[in-house]
Amino acid sequence: MSLEANYLVESPTAPARERNWWVYLILFAVCFINFVPYLWMILTAFMDKGTSVSAVPQWIFTPTLEAFTYLVREKRVLDNLLNSTIVSVASTFFSVLIGTFCAYALARYEFPGKDDVSFWVLTNRMMPPVAVILPIFIIFQTLKLLDTRLGLILLYTALQLPFVVWMLTGYFRDIPKRFEESAMVDGDSWFGAFRKVTLPLMTPSITATAVFVLILSWNEFAFALYLTSVQSKTLPPSIMAYAVGVNVQWNILGAACLFITAPIILFVLLVQKQFISGLSQGVVR
Amino acid sequence: MACHKASCAEARTIHTAQPPVVTMVDVSLSGLVKRFGNSVVAVDHVDMKVPDGEFVFLLGPSGCGKTTTLRMIAGLEMPTEGRIEIGGRNVTYLRPRYRNVGMVFQDYGLYRHMTVFENIAYPLRVRRMSREAIAAKVGAVAETLKITDVISRGPDQLSGGQLQRVAIARMLVRDANVFLMDEPMSHLDAQLRAHMRAELKHLQKQIGTTTIFVTHDQLEAMTMADRIMVMRKGLICQYASPREIFELPANQFVATFVGEPQMNILDCRIERRDNAWFAAGEGFEVELDSCWLETSEAARRSDRPMRLGVRPEHISISEAPRDGYTVAASMFAFEPTGAENLFTVKAGPHLITVKAPTAETQRFNIADGARVYLKPDPARLYLFDADTEKTLTQAAACQPVQA
Repeated sequence: MSLEANYLVESPTAPARERNWWVYLILFAVCFINFVPYLWMILTAFMDKGTSVSAVPQWIFTPTLEAFTYLVREKRVLDNLLNSTIVSVASTFFSVLIGTFCAYALARYEFPGKDDVSFWVLTNRMMPPVAVILPIFIIFQTLKLLDTRLGLILLYTALQLPFVVWMLTGYFRDIPKRFEESAMVDGDSWFGAFRKVTLPLMTPSITATAVFVLILSWNEFAFALYLTSVQSKTLPPSIMAYAVGVNVQWNILGAACLFITAPIILFVLLVQKQFISGLSQGVVR
Repeated sequence: MACHKASCAEARTIHTAQPPVVTMVDVSLSGLVKRFGNSVVAVDHVDMKVPDGEFVFLLGPSGCGKTTTLRMIAGLEMPTEGRIEIGGRNVTYLRPRYRNVGMVFQDYGLYRHMTVFENIAYPLRVRRMSREAIAAKVGAVAETLKITDVISRGPDQLSGGQLQRVAIARMLVRDANVFLMDEPMSHLDAQLRAHMRAELKHLQKQIGTTTIFVTHDQLEAMTMADRIMVMRKGLICQYASPREIFELPANQFVATFVGEPQMNILDCRIERRDNAWFAAGEGFEVELDSCWLETSEAARRSDRPMRLGVRPEHISISEAPRDGYTVAASMFAFEPTGAENLFTVKAGPHLITVKAPTAETQRFNIADGARVYLKPDPARLYLFDADTEKTLTQAAACQPVQA
């Protein structure tokens, strides 16, 4: 036997068509693992108290709005929803607005200490929230910002800014300077070039960043728990109340979870196309 | 009332009219310096005058400062020292929008989110021209550049040649005083480039606007330019007409940079024997015409190292030792290019390229190491100083060219 014979690869006959059924198997498994818990949560939300605590899981039952009525009437969860919406939308708006200019400056201009600035921006993100809750509480107390929406908006804007700056700096670097330069040679001012040329090209990236920031602000828990009590309480801390204690009412917890997840899911479905094109920008050209 | 209305209309037409067309636009750079940081000198005391209506090329290898010079003229880069004048107006530190220059970038700088029409209309929109005037102007310029049928498409749906045309259209659409082009053809394939060269040259002469073009392609510069400025390491090597650059290069760099294939450079020394001058190096000896050697004191010094330069097309090649074919060499490589053949031959340690018409050389033995004899044209020799690389003298100096 020659030496080459040892390395020969014996090929089977070619299949009649592409064999890729295993891809669907994996996809199905991933979807099942991801969606079944959520589906169960939705089902629980529509159960009555008895069904939700029964030892044997019941897939078929008469749906009821008992849990929702309780949350809306007794617990005034819609107030929390409103607070959450105002705080997260406002903080997203301000952090993206400020962050866009900051990222533009970092991406386009050379100035002394540029690297230090961008690193310092990032370090703000490294600090665990728990470490600063106490000082921030005292600051808020002094400035009379405790339990106000304004306080949370300011805080979240500051918290999300590093994230926005870092995401957008990369995206701005991907847009060639040529575009602005050519607009300026063509007779436009710097801001005109930025607004008419760079910004439209950045729309998908900015949208993607904004969606991320919105989700982060919407789900923020630690600060909201300590800095709000009644007036400006957002959804995450208010929902925690139903998950602690000895007798957890599963149907009420399920309904509360639906309140907090549904708006974000609907929103992301709405902007899905923009979101994905923004995320893949700079990767796929 | 009627009178008032009329004056209103008149006022508006005055407002939307183009700025008065400046008839004589020359560009002048004096003592232009650009430093990046403390150590990098990108442009080093460049002086240059571009007469009105001329097509001037900045030519050099990458990193020689040609693009930086162009960007300073456009106002995208501010000079460290020096002065820039366009049409007699000092624009040294003026922002780009007030200079009234048109520019085409290497990657065109077309806006991806706008159609071709909107791209071309951009400079007019910025100037708040009326909708009808914009449509008319864009239509006319699209007609000139033959892009009318793609006017409503996006830039990502165009071919390389069309993108280039759109970029040029955007530059032409307003009456800019000076056109600046930064390697606009480097992304085109060879065939399209040859086509665009002729078209652009024609267009420039037709419009007659002063144009400055940056390129690293010597062929582009040689074929299109009225005048070429060769740059190297931020310094001007030579600023002259293409023919003068080719025939009377100021130094070894210019001589080798211009011309394809590039000039052969051979280390040599000057010797005087039997009332004749010779340039002798390892493996070759070439007799020099005493007439042109007389023109330069420095060239007659036999004690210093020199370099002999001769272009491939100025060497004759023969298989048999004939009269005057004094350099014996052996075949190293053979490249047929159609009408002409390229021979790379070895004489001593030197590799010499020879370009010869196919008609004369098609029966040559092209086997590796085959014997050949070379005869450099005595009227087309150059001598360079080995240390400074300056041209000491050249055979063509005896017959001055008409620049």
